[in-house]
Amino acid sequence: MRLPPQPGEAIDRTTAFTFTWDGRSYPAYAGDTIASALAAAGVRVFSRSLKYHRPRGLLTADFHDPGCLVQVGDEPNVRAAHRRVEPGMTVRPQAVWPSLRWDVKSANQLVGKALTAGFYYKTFIKPRPLWPAYERVLRRFSPGGEVPAEPPDGRYDQRYAHPDVLVAGGGPAGLAAALAAAEAGLQVLLVDEQHELGGHLLWGDDGDRAALRDLRGAVAAADGIEVLTDAVVTGRYDGGRVVVLQRSAPGVVERLVKARPRVLVAAPGLIERPYVVAGNDLPGVLLSTAARRLVNRYAVRPGQRAVVLTANNSGDAAVGDLTRAGVDVRRVLDARRGDDVVRVRGRRGVRAVECSDGSTVACDLLVTAVGWTAPTSLLTMAGGRSRYLASAARFVPADLPDDVLAAGGIVGDGSTADLVAHGRAVGHEAARRARGLPPAHVADLEPGPHPELFHGRSNGIVDLAEDVSADDLRAAVAEGYDSIELVKRYTTATMGPTQGKLEAVNTIAVVAAATGRSIEETGTTTGRPPYVPVSLGVLAGRRYQPVRRSPMHTWHVEHGATPLVAGAWIRPDHYGDPAGEVCAVRQGVGIIDVTPLGKLALHGPDVADLLELLYVNRWRKLAVGSVRYGVMCTEDGVVLDDGVTGRLGEDRYLMTTTSSGATTVEHWVERWLQTERPHWQVHLVPMTDAYASINVAGPRSRELVGRLTDIDLAPEAFPYMRVRLGRVAGVADCVVWRIGFTGELSFELHVPAAFGQRVWEALLEVGADLGVRPFGVEAQRILRLEKGHLIVGQDTDGLTQAYGAGLDWAVKLDKDDFVGKPELAWQRARDDYLVLVGLQPVDPAVVPPESCQIIEDGQRIVGRVTSSRMSPTLDRAVCLGLVAARLSEPGTTVTVLLPDGRRVPVLVMPQLAHVDPEGVRLRG
Amino acid sequence: MTRPARYSAYGLARRGLTGAAWPPAWRAHELRPSYDVVIVGGGVHGLATAHYLAAKHGITNVALLERGYLGGGGSGRNTAIIRSNYLTPEGVRFYDRSLTLYESLAADLNFNVMFSQRGHLTLAHSDSALRTMRWRAEVNKLQGVDSELLDPAEIAGLVPHVDVSDQPRYPIVGGLFHPPGGIVRHDAVVWGYARAADANGVHLHQDTEVVGIDVVDGRVRGVRTNRGPIAAPVVVNCTAGWSSLVCELAGVEVPITTYPLQAAVTEPVRPFLDTVVVSGTLHVYVSQTDRGELVFGASVDPYPSYSTRGSLEFTEGVATHVLELMPALAKLRVLRQWAGLCDMTPDFSPIMGRTPVDGFYVDIGWGTYGFKAGPVAGETMAELVATGTTPELIAAFDLARFAEGRLVGERGAAAVGH
Repeated sequence: MRLPPQPGEAIDRTTAFTFTWDGRSYPAYAGDTIASALAAAGVRVFSRSLKYHRPRGLLTADFHDPGCLVQVGDEPNVRAAHRRVEPGMTVRPQAVWPSLRWDVKSANQLVGKALTAGFYYKTFIKPRPLWPAYERVLRRFSPGGEVPAEPPDGRYDQRYAHPDVLVAGGGPAGLAAALAAAEAGLQVLLVDEQHELGGHLLWGDDGDRAALRDLRGAVAAADGIEVLTDAVVTGRYDGGRVVVLQRSAPGVVERLVKARPRVLVAAPGLIERPYVVAGNDLPGVLLSTAARRLVNRYAVRPGQRAVVLTANNSGDAAVGDLTRAGVDVRRVLDARRGDDVVRVRGRRGVRAVECSDGSTVACDLLVTAVGWTAPTSLLTMAGGRSRYLASAARFVPADLPDDVLAAGGIVGDGSTADLVAHGRAVGHEAARRARGLPPAHVADLEPGPHPELFHGRSNGIVDLAEDVSADDLRAAVAEGYDSIELVKRYTTATMGPTQGKLEAVNTIAVVAAATGRSIEETGTTTGRPPYVPVSLGVLAGRRYQPVRRSPMHTWHVEHGATPLVAGAWIRPDHYGDPAGEVCAVRQGVGIIDVTPLGKLALHGPDVADLLELLYVNRWRKLAVGSVRYGVMCTEDGVVLDDGVTGRLGEDRYLMTTTSSGATTVEHWVERWLQTERPHWQVHLVPMTDAYASINVAGPRSRELVGRLTDIDLAPEAFPYMRVRLGRVAGVADCVVWRIGFTGELSFELHVPAAFGQRVWEALLEVGADLGVRPFGVEAQRILRLEKGHLIVGQDTDGLTQAYGAGLDWAVKLDKDDFVGKPELAWQRARDDYLVLVGLQPVDPAVVPPESCQIIEDGQRIVGRVTSSRMSPTLDRAVCLGLVAARLSEPGTTVTVLLPDGRRVPVLVMPQLAHVDPEGVRLRG
Repeated sequence: MTRPARYSAYGLARRGLTGAAWPPAWRAHELRPSYDVVIVGGGVHGLATAHYLAAKHGITNVALLERGYLGGGGSGRNTAIIRSNYLTPEGVRFYDRSLTLYESLAADLNFNVMFSQRGHLTLAHSDSALRTMRWRAEVNKLQGVDSELLDPAEIAGLVPHVDVSDQPRYPIVGGLFHPPGGIVRHDAVVWGYARAADANGVHLHQDTEVVGIDVVDGRVRGVRTNRGPIAAPVVVNCTAGWSSLVCELAGVEVPITTYPLQAAVTEPVRPFLDTVVVSGTLHVYVSQTDRGELVFGASVDPYPSYSTRGSLEFTEGVATHVLELMPALAKLRVLRQWAGLCDMTPDFSPIMGRTPVDGFYVDIGWGTYGFKAGPVAGETMAELVATGTTPELIAAFDLARFAEGRLVGERGAAAVGH
């Protein structure tokens, strides 16, 4: 029921609207949470519990309330006691059938005694074929909301922040700490989980509100404090990085703030603990802070007749608030004097409370104030510890690192003035440390005395999110799961959406009692990030996914290229007719965009030594103006990459790598230079994007390039495997080398990237009469396969060493040293490896898909097809494959198993090349 | 030896009505001065080895030493995916035996390990990935393992939330589907083996750390622990994360580098994902547990470390990649993240069998694929210890292969192959 206006209320009564809950319309005011609006309308049941499907209502009335997870539109698991309601919002209960009021699964309560913790480990074992059916039933009991079929609307964002001091928590201590740090001239980021600053002062009395007005006024007036409300620190990671989830951020659904403060001040206050006693999960059982929040912030009267169990001033204050709100407080049980609740009676909600004096009080509300939990997980993530203080009945922070401080309630107790004073002292010290001054001690706020009240004399629910009772924990201990980690895993206590905030200490206390150990000895489970659940959307942020395109990309798109995703690059796969493109290259001339080829400029007197070390072949005698094909292996002799490297000047080389290996090779070269040969004078510059690369291939390529350059291309002036520098199509500083991946006469042009498209178009324009055609990656793959040029990673795998790849001619074991030499020397002495060979199916029309296995004796694997295509030049299938060395003799017929089960004979060829094995065309 | 109370629906009902407690699943013992066999490491490998030693070979004077609590290492930190669609014939045969053992494990141990054979789908986002999958499919079929290539439309039919359009940065071009694969309740496997081993007389010693291994004249003589020395003619190293350091105690050098592997779990949502979905290109794998949580994993961290702390980069990367695959999950929230330690070998295959020290056996180097091999590793190690003969299934995984050049290359199927 809604109360008349309250002095500290959060709702704006001038803005009223409606929203839907479970198919019915309800009124709300701006500033209401979903739960407060429903509670004001008399709704008491918000969900059904996980295992027994017992009705659940408000308990903490804040973000961590375990009974208030609802579906809002397409968003599952929304915290109804935190999320502000909006006009027209559609809110539904989760995982109930047929309805929240009549849920058939509540039948589980009838067999509840058999459904002890871990019951599923003890049944559904036999008969085995029925387990999938059992499992489907079990899955039907899984909790939670529904994931939509379509991507939700809205964007997520991330942001970096570099405050001097980050204050986590905007209660009195946090506000004072932020002010003190800001007064010292520092930049402060102040973060609070609630929708407004103020912490527990928000639902306090007149004095609390007056103090809050002053503090908030000072913060608003201070320079250098950035305030984030409805935001929470989710974790502190290595390197001092503090991550803040901002739930309400303009223009986006959520924002993740990645902050690197010099000092972190944790001022999260305290979390009130539920009391474990039979019936403690019934709707109508409220924590004292929840009752005060409902009355003072949301003007909601939470019940009509109440019993209050109090062990501290929060419970005492709740009595006052409830009375003022017109609740008939029938009985106040003072736990400090030994009063206790024996059990709570009721089915859909609280009907009566049995008291320790033997009396039973009829009521619809039980408010408990039995103790506090200090949320120390942020501090333990930062490397601190927590220790149990029996006199205060809670864990307190201990051994914090120098760049982390704790302020306020998490440390100790006191009046608002005490909390503010402690906050100021901590803020002042944080400012000192942020300036780099040596740490000084801040006098701790002392935790006040508090009775140890965790569980009563009857069996109650310890983990309300997971429906784990105290007896479940005791049973687990009795069955041998007697350490806190094992209990947690066996019963799932503390593993639900509340992440232990409400139930961890009660769990420890029950386990401690059951094992006869102390709470200190029992210890805590490991606190892990995130402190609160964080959406995938905000973790992914804008989902920046870099794409690399060559300068000629637009041209390709405009000319009908089919795109191919090739690692980071988008490349033209073909322009509609790969076979035609192959023929154009074989008969006339074609051009291909090979910009993604890795290119590394190497300068310095020791480049030749570097090449000698990293390549298996010889480099020392490479003359200026020459290029050479090189093969790199890793230490285990496995082929890492191949490419052509040319010597452009005395101390100046250009290395090319495969397109897919460009980054790997760059890192590889840097690793050897930086960690193994730091004394070498070699300067490495990645040039992949700096050049646009075009391969001009075909018998008429000399004629075509000759029309655009003043470089002398005559065969004797510019023979095979040479490099020249000059102008192409008027563009200066081009590198031209004569090589031939396609097996044809070809010139590879590396032109400054900005002029790539100009040169590309010039080639097509001046070569129109030669029939020049662009060709794509697919045609290039066919061409190189016809020529028998291997592709590292396709025709080799993670175990293929250089000899197995047919690279015997390149490996120079007589070199002093090179990476992989000992392993290759060893490989050469053996014959137990697969060898790369050319293969041709006996039936020329059968193209075995790549990766088909080569088999012997029906099913023994003796190799596989690594590359295969129909060759337009030969009009037959051509392949490369790895086969056992003993089967690699030319003329051997091997059997290939096709995916459809057919076995086809395939002939081992004398060499890898199917077209022009002598290399006449290449050298022409 | 008293058999433990059998687990059954009847037993649950009876004890539910009478309020009688279940007996302990395992018991604590004092350390004996000597045992026939000492197993170091109380994860699934050590416990399975202990169980099969006792159950199949009658060797029950066995101590299993665990530094912390049972299943607290890799066994409790993995993402519990079971499959056998490996790349090498050796790998396929070995993991397939493990899968067979998993299928009957609940009945064998009288402990429901909740093995859910919901299928395992690996997505290809490139020609080369598809080529490797066809390779795996062909090898699998030859070994009798159910494994087939799917096209994007078939994938959409199997997992409706997966985006098979050309919109993603790395569109899906196909997938490898392995119907017998699935997920299991990893803790239950640990506890089931522990309970069975205890029932057969094996001593399970928790909070017992091995601080030294005594070797005399090339023979193992026993171990030293924080609770005192134990004499034993056979010591089996079944640890992970610290396996190379335990080997070092015996003076055995192994080619292992340890990397953290991270994982994360979301809040529960209603069941919508029936298969395990893996993308090697995007370095992510996803499954939904019976409790409704989504479990995410990725490849190992890029640098060696013994840290088990989670990083923000991991959750950011996983979120980005999961949303690439299933953009409808944007509002799902990550509840918890953690890390475990993975002992990587040069060929992504384990090291099992004898060492240069007589009586000191290893079952280590399990990288990111140790959990799925737990049963078969235990079965074969027990056979080796009991008979002195190396079972054929693990002959290829011996330590000597690194010196003799017989690597078993599983990189292509194991690297992100959960």
